[in-house]
Amino acid sequence: MSNYLNLSFFKVLILIYSFFISNLLADDIRIKINSGQVEPLPIAIADFTGEEGKANEIGRQIAEVISNNLVGSGQFKAVESAAFIAPPTSPSVRPNFTDWTPLGIKALITGSVKSINEQQIEVEFRLWDIIAETDLIGLRLSVDAQAWRRVAHIISDEIFERLSGDSGYFDTRIVYVAESGPQNKRLKRLAIMDQDGENHQYLTDGSFLVLTPRFSPTTQEITYLAYFKNEPRVYIFNLETGEQELLGSFPGMTFAPRFSPFGDKIIMSLAEKGVTDIYTMNLNNQEVIRLTNSSSIDTSPSFSPNGKKIIFNSDRGGSQQIYIMDANGRNVKRISFGKGRYATPVWAPKGELIAFTKMLKNKFYIGVMSPDGSGERLLAEGYLVEGPTWAPNGRVLMYFKQEAPIDDGKSSNVNLYKIDITGFRETRVLTPSDGSDPAWSPLIPN
Amino acid sequence: MFKSTFISIGLHVFFIIFAYYGLPSFKIREPIESPIDIVEDTPISSKTSLKLGETKVKEVKEIKKVIKKEKVKKTPPPPPAPSKKMVEKKNAELKKKKEIREIAELIKKKPKLKKKKVKKVLPPKVEKKPEKIKNKQKENLAKGILNTLTKPKKKVENSKKVEKEHNNTEILKKIKKIAGNSNRQVQQTEIKLSVTDINKIQNHVTKYWNVSYAASEVKMVITLKISTNVDGSIKSVKIYDKNLYQKDKFYRATADTARRAVLDSSPLPLPKGKEKKFENFLFDFDTSFISNY
Repeated sequence: MSNYLNLSFFKVLILIYSFFISNLLADDIRIKINSGQVEPLPIAIADFTGEEGKANEIGRQIAEVISNNLVGSGQFKAVESAAFIAPPTSPSVRPNFTDWTPLGIKALITGSVKSINEQQIEVEFRLWDIIAETDLIGLRLSVDAQAWRRVAHIISDEIFERLSGDSGYFDTRIVYVAESGPQNKRLKRLAIMDQDGENHQYLTDGSFLVLTPRFSPTTQEITYLAYFKNEPRVYIFNLETGEQELLGSFPGMTFAPRFSPFGDKIIMSLAEKGVTDIYTMNLNNQEVIRLTNSSSIDTSPSFSPNGKKIIFNSDRGGSQQIYIMDANGRNVKRISFGKGRYATPVWAPKGELIAFTKMLKNKFYIGVMSPDGSGERLLAEGYLVEGPTWAPNGRVLMYFKQEAPIDDGKSSNVNLYKIDITGFRETRVLTPSDGSDPAWSPLIPN
Repeated sequence: MFKSTFISIGLHVFFIIFAYYGLPSFKIREPIESPIDIVEDTPISSKTSLKLGETKVKEVKEIKKVIKKEKVKKTPPPPPAPSKKMVEKKNAELKKKKEIREIAELIKKKPKLKKKKVKKVLPPKVEKKPEKIKNKQKENLAKGILNTLTKPKKKVENSKKVEKEHNNTEILKKIKKIAGNSNRQVQQTEIKLSVTDINKIQNHVTKYWNVSYAASEVKMVITLKISTNVDGSIKSVKIYDKNLYQKDKFYRATADTARRAVLDSSPLPLPKGKEKKFENFLFDFDTSFISNY
C-alpha cells in the first residue's frame, strides 16, 4: 500500500515538474541579436543642486569632474548641459523621462550637495535609465568639504561600473618622474597626482636622480630607483607616512624594480660584468634570487596577475623581443614575432593582455597583445612613446610621449598621455612640467 | 541521510532531464497524430489563414466540376481510393505480398467467397466485364479482400455509404494535396515565419543596441522576454535570468543595454498578418561579436 502511495506520489511529482518546466521551455519564437554598436553612451550630467551658494558651487564642480571622467574613459558622450530641458531639483525627484528622450540621452545623473556643518558636506546622487524609466543606482556620502574631488571620482566609479559592468579607475593616483631644465642638466623629481592631473605634489626635491617609480598593488607604497652619489639604490616610499626605506644598493646598473602581484617581492634586472639578468628580492627577508642566467640583456620584468609567470624583454635571440617564463625562471619562451624591436612589457591587471613598446622604422608605438603573443594591436605612435602602465581595471593605458626635437641643444617636450584600449581616444594628462615614466595606482581604499 | 540526499538529487536530475527532453516532443506530436481526422471532418478555412481559405474554396469548386464532367462521360468510377492507396503501400512490402498471393490461391479454391465479397465491396458497374476481372485482376481482388480483412468492419458494413462519401473523399484528397497533404503542414504555414521576417526585426533592433566593450569581458547571451502589441509597440521587456542579473555586474550592465535597445526600437517591424505570433517571444542578445578590445 505504501509502495503504491509512493508511486502515485512520484507520478504527481513528475506531472508538476513537467508542467512548470514545459511552461519554461514553451516559448515559440527566439530571435538572436548578434551584432550591435560599441559606441559612447549619450549621458546627461545635471549640476548637483545645493541649498546655498557654496554647496551649489561644489555641486557644479562635482558634476564637471564626473563629466570629464566619464567622457575621458571613451565610453560615454556627455550631452551639453544647455540642451537640458528640465533638470530635476533633487536626486529623489523622478525626472520627466519623456522630456529627455528626444535628446537621445540614455542615462541621466542627478545629485545634490548639502552642508552638514562648516567642514562636512553630504553628497547624494542617482543614476537614471531614461529609456527603461527607472533608477539604476543611488548613493549618499558624507565627507570633508575639501574632499569633494574624491567624492566626484568615487561617484564616477560607481556610475562607470553600473553602466559598463567593469570596475572604475577614477579614484586612483599617478606617480611619475617630473622633468624640468635643459637636456644636459635635467632635474628629475618624483611626483604624484590624481589620475586626472589634479592634486599634484612632488615627493622628492630633485637632489638625486629618480627613475622607474612603481606602485605597490596592495599598499600605498611606491618602489623606485634613485642614483645617490652615482650608486643605484632601490627605495620604497610610503605615501601615508612619507617615510622612505632603502631596500639595498646593488653593484652595477639596476633597472626597473617592480612589485609582485601580492606585494611581497620586488622583481628587477641587475647588470654585472656586461650581462643583465633578472632577479627577485623578498621584501620580508631581503633574499635575492637570480631567475635568468644568459649572456644577453634580460630586463623589464613584469609578473602575471596570479604571480605564476613573468614576462620580460631580451636580446638573446639576436634582437630585442618579449619572452615569457615561469616564476622560477624556467620554460623561457619567446612570444613576440612581429617586425621591429619590443620592450617594456607590462601584464594587464586581469591578465588577458600585455602592453609593450615597439620600435619600428624610427618610430615608437604603444601596443597590446595576448600573453601567447597573438592579436598584436598598436594603439599609439610617436617620435618617442614609451613606458605603458595599466589602469587598475585594465581598460586604459598611460604612457609618456616625447615630441621630435625642433632645435638642436634644446630638449623637446615630454608629456603624459592616456588611451583606452580600443585606441580611439588619446588624451593628454596635464602636468605642471614635463613628465615621464608614469605608474598607475590601484583604487584608493575608502 | 547521505543516501536519501543522493536519491533526492538523482530524482530531481531525472525529472528535469525527463521534462526537458520529453515534453517538447510530446508537444510536437500533438499536431502530427490528430491531423487526418480533423482535416476530414472540419472545414479547412477555420484552420488556415484567410488567404489560404479563399484559394482553397475556389479550387474545391473546380475539382467538383471536373468530377461531374467525368460522370457525364460515363467512365466507370474507380474503386474507392483509400483502399487503392493502402493496397499500393502494402504491395511495396514483401511480406505482405506473399500473404496476398496465398490469399489469392485460397480464393481460386473457394470462388463462392470471392463473389460474395466482391459484390459487397465493389460497385455493380465494375462487374460488367467479369472475365477480365478473373483473368487480369485476381490479385487485385485478393487485395480487396485483404482490405476487408485488415480494415475495420465499419467499412464493409457501410459499403453503401462509401459511394455517397466517395466524391467528398476525392475532394478532400485533392484539397490535402493543395494544402500540403496534412493538417500539421497547414498549421505550420500559418505559424511559419520567413527568414526575411526575422531578419527585418534583427536588423531593426541591432541599430539600437549600443553595448559597452566591457561586455567582451564575459562572452554571454542575454535573454529577454518580450510582449508586443499588434502594432509592434513593446508592451513589456523582462530580463529572463533575474538571478544572474542580481549577481553578475557585467551581465546586469549588458542586460540593461539590451533592454534599452528593445525599448528604443519600439515599434518593431512585425510581419503583416503574423503579428499575433509576436505577442510573446524571446530575444537572445549575444555579445560574442565584441572582440579585439
